[in-house]
Amino acid sequence: MTETAAAREITITRVYDAPRELVWQAWTEPERLAQWWGPPAWTTDPADVRMEVRPGGVFRVTSVSAEGGSAMTVEGVYREVDEPVRLVLEEDGEGAWHDGAVSELTLTDLGDGRTEMAFATSIRTTEEMAGTARAGLAASFDRLARHLS
Amino acid sequence: MADDRLSSTFAALADPTRRAILARLAEGEATVSELAEPFPMTLQGVSKHLKVLERAGLVARGRTAQLRPSRLQAPALKEAADWLAGYRGFWEGSFDRLGDHLAEMQEGSR
Repeated sequence: MTETAAAREITITRVYDAPRELVWQAWTEPERLAQWWGPPAWTTDPADVRMEVRPGGVFRVTSVSAEGGSAMTVEGVYREVDEPVRLVLEEDGEGAWHDGAVSELTLTDLGDGRTEMAFATSIRTTEEMAGTARAGLAASFDRLARHLS
Repeated sequence: MADDRLSSTFAALADPTRRAILARLAEGEATVSELAEPFPMTLQGVSKHLKVLERAGLVARGRTAQLRPSRLQAPALKEAADWLAGYRGFWEGSFDRLGDHLAEMQEGSR
């Protein structure tokens, strides 16, 4: 069941060789965010980035995949904004299979020009998702698919 | 991150009877009456569940006469599993690119 747990609580920590101010700007300026948002082979037009970086402000980013041209939107509201240390972003679950997700970004100045970035997302599961998780089905999809092919 | 088809897949998987039906179909195709056997349920009830699974792309049904045996469709299940793994992958991929972007910003300011 570890796969299931990982899918619902995601924590990623990175250390960047850059001052904290710079990392903060990369998260809060549309032109900069558009340059790194999304996995490789996805692109984001700065015009499709809407950010009102203040508590209650809207966050909306749409990215397009290079192949197939499918679009993906991450949309939510800033719950906390503490420049240049902390951002809390809440996605609502409307139109998604989950019931909303809360992501917390924490930037720590390591004092030597480097910055530690901690990113934690907690996905609130719907009854649907919880049922799937209980059955352990998510973890066995791959095995099932292999069994069938 | 929303995807209509995936949300219908997860909604279809929410029901324990439908998961049991999928587990049975993983062993091979079956007719409605074969599927109904282990459940205290009418054929009509099972047909309703099959329709939900079919709409979600998890099950396909044969065209032969009245029997119309049901088959599991692996790709939809695979896609759902990939999506779960992909949620983390999305951020990992983004943060790799953020590292590159920060390096470029630093070079530009030097």
